[in-house]
Amino acid sequence: MSQTAAIDKGKAGLSAAETAFRQSLAGPEVANTAASALRAAGNAAFATAGLPAIRDEAWKYTNLRTLARRAFDHGGPVAAPDAAAVESAAIGGLGGPRLVFVNGQYVAALSDLQIQKGLDIAPLATLIHDPGSELPQSLCRLGDPGRHPFSALNQGLLEHGVLLRTHAGAVISDPIYLLFLSVPGAAPQACHPRVFVDSGADSSLSVLEHYVGLGSGQNLTNVVTEIQLQRGSRLRHYRVQDEAATAFHVGGVFASVGRDARLESHNLHFGAALARLDLEVALNEPGAEVEMNGLYCLGGRQHVDNHTRVDHHAAHTRSEEDYRGVLNDRARGVFNGKAIVHEDAQKIEAHQSNSNLLLSAQAEVDTKPELEIYADDVKCSHGATVGQLDQTALFYLRSRGIDAEAAKALLTFAFAEAVVGRIDLEPVRRRLETAVAGALPDRSLIENLIGADT
Amino acid sequence: MLSINNLQASVGGKQILNGLDLEVEAGQVHAIMGPNGSGKSTLANVLAGREGYAVTGGSVVYRDQDLLELAPEERAREGVFLAFQYPVEIPGVNNAYLLKAALNAQRKHRGEPELDAFEFLALVKDKMKLMGMDESFLNRGVNEGFSGGEKKRNEILQMAVLEPRLAVLDETDSGLDIDALRVVAGGVNSLRRADRAIVLVTHYQRLLDYIEPDFVHVLSAGRIVKTGDKDLALELESRGYDWTREAASA
Repeated sequence: MSQTAAIDKGKAGLSAAETAFRQSLAGPEVANTAASALRAAGNAAFATAGLPAIRDEAWKYTNLRTLARRAFDHGGPVAAPDAAAVESAAIGGLGGPRLVFVNGQYVAALSDLQIQKGLDIAPLATLIHDPGSELPQSLCRLGDPGRHPFSALNQGLLEHGVLLRTHAGAVISDPIYLLFLSVPGAAPQACHPRVFVDSGADSSLSVLEHYVGLGSGQNLTNVVTEIQLQRGSRLRHYRVQDEAATAFHVGGVFASVGRDARLESHNLHFGAALARLDLEVALNEPGAEVEMNGLYCLGGRQHVDNHTRVDHHAAHTRSEEDYRGVLNDRARGVFNGKAIVHEDAQKIEAHQSNSNLLLSAQAEVDTKPELEIYADDVKCSHGATVGQLDQTALFYLRSRGIDAEAAKALLTFAFAEAVVGRIDLEPVRRRLETAVAGALPDRSLIENLIGADT
Repeated sequence: MLSINNLQASVGGKQILNGLDLEVEAGQVHAIMGPNGSGKSTLANVLAGREGYAVTGGSVVYRDQDLLELAPEERAREGVFLAFQYPVEIPGVNNAYLLKAALNAQRKHRGEPELDAFEFLALVKDKMKLMGMDESFLNRGVNEGFSGGEKKRNEILQMAVLEPRLAVLDETDSGLDIDALRVVAGGVNSLRRADRAIVLVTHYQRLLDYIEPDFVHVLSAGRIVKTGDKDLALELESRGYDWTREAASA
């Protein structure tokens, strides 16, 4: 959709996107008063912050110019995706409940909630439109809207999404699958869903957020995930971003981890023209742990920015981060990983690593691991690498009869597999291996490697 | 099978091989010995086609082909095998996959049908027994976390699976304790055949106690300065290398 320069600026000197967002925020009120209050707070925070610009340190390498030119339509009508398209986008064989969202809105007809003991699943819109419903006390408490304009916008438009809650001691073995489909409409569509996960004490849960673009729209998905882990609980959080190559994706994942609880975060990007993810984890009590596993596999002119932050607020907490990038063509990756060890957070461990493989001379990556340490008895490490394939390994493979192109594909695949291989949901791992192979210059060469467990 | 004439090569601008001549026939085992820096590993790497090793003169003919014209993978498919002095660790690529891909690349090149997973497994398990290797190793990353001895064993296993016509073993004995050396040497001996040639590049005579060569060559300053039978290796062991250099310049 083309925009003239005059519309670009809008009436108040605002960009087309910001004008459209303000119109959405000025839309009809919702029935639930608690939700209304949250929306008003989000609205106010967004009005103050506006869209981020590259002069903001946190957005230094990610220019929102192209996003700002789109006058996004909020919740406009789109053709319902046909069942076959949904099934081909979906990862099958997971076994657990599946919730399908089309442009942010929950679609019961495509979903299967599988009521089970110890687990509550509630589509958010039902609560928001019910004056009598009670929202969780801690909804919209994580992810400071003052620092995160898109989260503020999401909160201002709080309506769609899902609440997940495990009861104390519940061990939910099958993963909860949240499939977010982005479907093009007459104008670019924006949606602002929210996922809220409350893991009860000593419970165990796996959640998969899967973002898929159907067709080649210029939609925006602006999603916020809030996670709170009570004492002794475990959450495996998988996040797979496979939007259309022309789409925009902005996400915030904000987690608070209690005593002896453990969060395992897998964050993988394959799609979108422009994607930005802020992943922030607060380790609030002794014994809290987080593992952050990330991959961005990009080509064309894709731009993906991952900002991660871990706050070690308590002693005896642990964080481990491994983010990897495979960049081809003119793709650009941004990584900023911050670990902050607060005063009195002694005996903590924080390890962080970001490695990047550049497959083309025009690909680019900006990486910045940061450590801020205010305690003195800590074990910390961080490092970043940007490089090409290991020439010695390449020669080794060729000397065994494997041709140069296949050897390159194989080594690239192996590099990404270090991240993908940590995912213990087999159907997800297979889908991701296929996605990694698809991002390589010649996937045919390694096709028989996918899922090979000879 | 292999005919090297007046071979000259440099590494990083430094001339290492200075007119090396060598004739290797099928069925023979040749040992190339020499002090550090004499060009042993350079010769092995030039034969395998490693980048960074520039041939500045001379020729290498392998089975009536100009070997130097072939890419490393083409040499491998034509039956040339290099056992690396320092086998490379490749996390994320498992041993089974590499072996199968390598074997099938070669079979395809020869116009033979590729092996399926079952045929391949049967073959490789057989060869692993020969090398005293545990089957669990198949699903590990290539050389990942292997001890020095395991890496060398793995090289000989690859050789056993790929059945090369010409095998060049670069310092395969280095870093091995006596038990590992016996296993590796046993593997190599079992691969001696009338239609296969083996070139052992080694610094020490020790390996030749277990693999008896037909010829022993002394390499010095990038040339072969002396050729003899297995007794030459024993003489080198007792007298060192200096006398061969003097003999060559005399």
